[in-house]
Amino acid sequence: MIRRLFIANRGEIALRIARTAQRLGMTTIVGASQADVTSLPAQFADEVALIGPAPSAQSYLNVEAVIAAAVAARADAIHPGYGFLSENARFAEATIEAGMIFVGPDVTSLNAMGDKLMARSVGLAAGLPVVPGGEAATPEQAMARARETGFPVLLKAVAGGGGKGMKRVDRADDMPAMIAMAMSEAQAAFGDPRIYVERFIARGRHVEVQVLGDGHDALHLGTRDCSIQRRFQKLVEEAPAPQLADATRNGLEQAAVALTRHLAYRGAGTVEFLVDAQTGDFFFLEMNARIQVEHPVTEAITGVDLIEQQLLVAAGSRLGLTQDAIRPSGHAIEVRINAEDPAADFRPSPGRVTRARWPAGPGIRIDSHIATGGVIPPTYDSLMGKLIVWARDRPAAVALLASALATLSIEGVPTTAPLHRRIAADPRFVAGGVDTRFLEGLA
Amino acid sequence: MNEPFLTPEDIADIVAILDGSDYRELDVATARFRLTLRREGGGEAGGRWSQEWQWAAANGPAAVAVAVVQDTPAGLVAVAAPLPGAFYRAPAPGAAPFVEIGARVDGDTVVGIVETMKLMNPVHAGHAGEVVAIVADNGAMVEGGATLMHIRPHA
Amino acid sequence: MAEISLVDVSMRDGNQSLWGATGLNTAQMLAIAGATDRVGFSAIDFTSSTHMAVAVRYFRNDPWERIRRMRAAMPNTPLQFITTGMRFIAWQQADPDFMALVYRHLQVAGIRKFIMLDPMHDAEAVIEAARLVKREGGAQVMGALTFTLSAVHTDRFYADFARKLAASDDIDCFYIKDPGGLLSPDRVRTLAPAVKAAIGARRLEIHAHCTIGYGPLTSLAAADLGIVDAVHVGVGPLGDGSSLPEAGRMLANLKAGGHSVNVDEAMLAKVSDYWWRLSRAEGLPAGAPQTFDASFLRHQIAGGVMTTTRRQLEELGLAHRFDEVVAETERVRAELGHPIMVTPFPQMVMSQALYNVIGARRYAQVSDEVLRYVMGKFGRPTSPLDPAVESAILDRPRAAEVAAEPPFPTLAELRRKWGAHLPEEEFLLRAVMPPAQVDAMYAAGSSSAHYNPAAAPVLRLLKELAARPAARDIVIETADTRLALHGGAHVA
Repeated sequence: MIRRLFIANRGEIALRIARTAQRLGMTTIVGASQADVTSLPAQFADEVALIGPAPSAQSYLNVEAVIAAAVAARADAIHPGYGFLSENARFAEATIEAGMIFVGPDVTSLNAMGDKLMARSVGLAAGLPVVPGGEAATPEQAMARARETGFPVLLKAVAGGGGKGMKRVDRADDMPAMIAMAMSEAQAAFGDPRIYVERFIARGRHVEVQVLGDGHDALHLGTRDCSIQRRFQKLVEEAPAPQLADATRNGLEQAAVALTRHLAYRGAGTVEFLVDAQTGDFFFLEMNARIQVEHPVTEAITGVDLIEQQLLVAAGSRLGLTQDAIRPSGHAIEVRINAEDPAADFRPSPGRVTRARWPAGPGIRIDSHIATGGVIPPTYDSLMGKLIVWARDRPAAVALLASALATLSIEGVPTTAPLHRRIAADPRFVAGGVDTRFLEGLA
Repeated sequence: MNEPFLTPEDIADIVAILDGSDYRELDVATARFRLTLRREGGGEAGGRWSQEWQWAAANGPAAVAVAVVQDTPAGLVAVAAPLPGAFYRAPAPGAAPFVEIGARVDGDTVVGIVETMKLMNPVHAGHAGEVVAIVADNGAMVEGGATLMHIRPHA
Repeated sequence: MAEISLVDVSMRDGNQSLWGATGLNTAQMLAIAGATDRVGFSAIDFTSSTHMAVAVRYFRNDPWERIRRMRAAMPNTPLQFITTGMRFIAWQQADPDFMALVYRHLQVAGIRKFIMLDPMHDAEAVIEAARLVKREGGAQVMGALTFTLSAVHTDRFYADFARKLAASDDIDCFYIKDPGGLLSPDRVRTLAPAVKAAIGARRLEIHAHCTIGYGPLTSLAAADLGIVDAVHVGVGPLGDGSSLPEAGRMLANLKAGGHSVNVDEAMLAKVSDYWWRLSRAEGLPAGAPQTFDASFLRHQIAGGVMTTTRRQLEELGLAHRFDEVVAETERVRAELGHPIMVTPFPQMVMSQALYNVIGARRYAQVSDEVLRYVMGKFGRPTSPLDPAVESAILDRPRAAEVAAEPPFPTLAELRRKWGAHLPEEEFLLRAVMPPAQVDAMYAAGSSSAHYNPAAAPVLRLLKELAARPAARDIVIETADTRLALHGGAHVA
């Protein structure tokens, strides 16, 4: 049983994890960098452990520092949140070797899904359709693959994920230069230069399925649509994915469960698919073996606390949920409020928030570590908070989103709220079922 | 401890209650936080409510026992705190420190004090060699086993 | 000495004994479910027909959803359902096909332990019901020995009953249930071994109410015998009073007696703290240790029924005859074959005693419930009725009408009435509850999972203020909180 939980993360997700852990009676220890010791998660938790100076490489990404801090804090378990070390197999192994529970999947699952190329082949082995394409160990192989699948293609980092390090190539002539760039970027960002090639689907929708497994049973909690993205970073997410044919929806959910079972997966995970908006065909992209930023929309429609389920499974319990017990209702939409300046090409804008008025009321949930007076340090990502709305159907959720955004008022740093107001008013968004090119057409 | 007085779900409930009234603002102040719920003007906001939180400043890391993690550089050894407590470099306030950087020590040399529950515990160098770095600040709260200083041992 | 586990009755029996079964809604239970699961109880006394009906009628909570969500939040601790066997919410017994469906859905929703409690101790009926439960799922079945004081209910009586039940493979374990709080430490020292000898290796639990102070001492005496595996307890304000022994105190006493109890004390303290805060926030009375009342051992009427009867006599100007009524209660109970005083029998017996005292002659006036009881509609009485009393009761025109009451419809009839298209859980509720109540429950939608006892008083205060004309400004200050409400521009 987990009594003392070390939260190896920061910002809104550290606060989110601490809330559920405290409700379950766990003592919470936040592992904070020097820049975060006075942050809201650090104040909220029962204890704070200093894991290193502000730069992530010396703190949140430093395996030895995090493990040492957790051991010194006498933690039973580490929750890695999302990003940082959450899918790092070496970190998971080190946690276990140090005698603590890793709140996440087994190392075998992390390895299988962390390498995106291996994930593709595991997906195929589990019977899932994958995007045409494949391995490209050399520039020549990459060229050959691209000719097989046809242009345009996407070059992706094998050790990447979260939309980072992806390059679109429209013509064969551009390939040599783009391959070289992609490989050197992959090396710099992930320490691994390998890339693979995928057909670029012109009108694609990013639909993902939330799953839970305990090593024996696997179940799904429905779909999420995350098609509204900017440079492959999600901006808006909703559950369930709107405007999907039943056959497609069922196919996605069953495929996700099949993969989860195939891996004997333990914990919470998300299986990501690309849905061809024109044909309804779907292809397995990758599986994120961690809790995700957009998990609240699934919580809103199912009533399930996903962090709680992660903690229960990690402690060794079998899932107390059955597929029959998952009865989604209503519609939920989440928008990410980032400290970025939309007028300056979304340049990150760290600083002090002089006023943070978030919307409030029935159907409105705010996951944020930023209150009035809160500080956004320059060293980390720009996510300030998530605004999540729930209503009985999508039109009501869209209307609630618009009025909630109208109430949102953050001063001191520029935010992406104005962008979200435009998105919420866009007729294509109001109709639902948009694809990944949505932002290009935004007025 | 840190039981929250008002959770995010409570806020939604409170707004639902206030929305049916003629009140336009609720201000809650405790030692830990201040919360203001405001009914914003009409228009698109449609009389919707906002929440503004302000949190009392944290006491700072010195008030909480923190694990200070240090990698011991190659060729050096660490002098570790024998107990959790407050680390002092001198035998008394205002007195000269036990050692400075460059001092030569042997295993029994007292290099500092850790005060726990009003009792002073000597910290011994544990190694013969030269003090090359003082890692913990004078007066800092340290965990048991935390690195206090680095010594380059004699060959 | 022995390894003892604890069973937590707070949410059902504690709630029922102390808070009229209407004390808790789904959100209040879900909010503490995760922490309760981590205490290390061997089971949670969670629900019953009565409680499922209260959920619908009183709170508009879906009782099936409540079980499902508790199960999801509590993977480590089995949830218990207590039943008389062949009834579901309606007072009449249902046919086996209907009950099988009930048992199937209770198990699918997440009930993992059933208590078959037949106060008439009809072994065949209990075994049949246990067989149905097992057929529909893999839940544990516990047979109940319901204690009372009477010439009939001897140690031998209980051992014989236990032996008959133990002959069935469908009964996994047993418990001595003392709803009246009548079981003394001396008596349990002979009763428990007699029962254990009859059931052999199967586990035995003790469930002793504290109504006149016996509960904690009897439970400890049972534990000290070394043959009892679990003690039933209520946590914090849901223990003591007419409920089960308070958990924290029982834990300390068991340990002091040399027993080992594998429970997380810090987590138990947290759960207790929650129930205390809830009881204060909602104005629900806490159980308190009870003083011994020797007269209770004779009349066995619980406090609530006594209070109601005394008030009825006062309204009739007959308060001076109260003691007569109490004495008559003992007589009526014996004549009716010693029914065990669990709902609905205390009310039934005392009302009849009241009629007998204030009426023209004994049994001149008889309630429909007594008629049904005598006709066996509640099950076969444990021991025979006094023949003269029985014929006196049945000798009236109303008896023929009650006898002609249609029985509970068969499953096939219910299906025809409600159509084949309703989801099963809804069908089972509509078969036994008024349509308006079921409609209102579904209209209310899924219940919240959130309850914060610290916020409840604030919410209540705001509700009251919101209901009144708005003032310009209201400021409320306590030692650690300042609340300020500001009125709208148009407020005078």
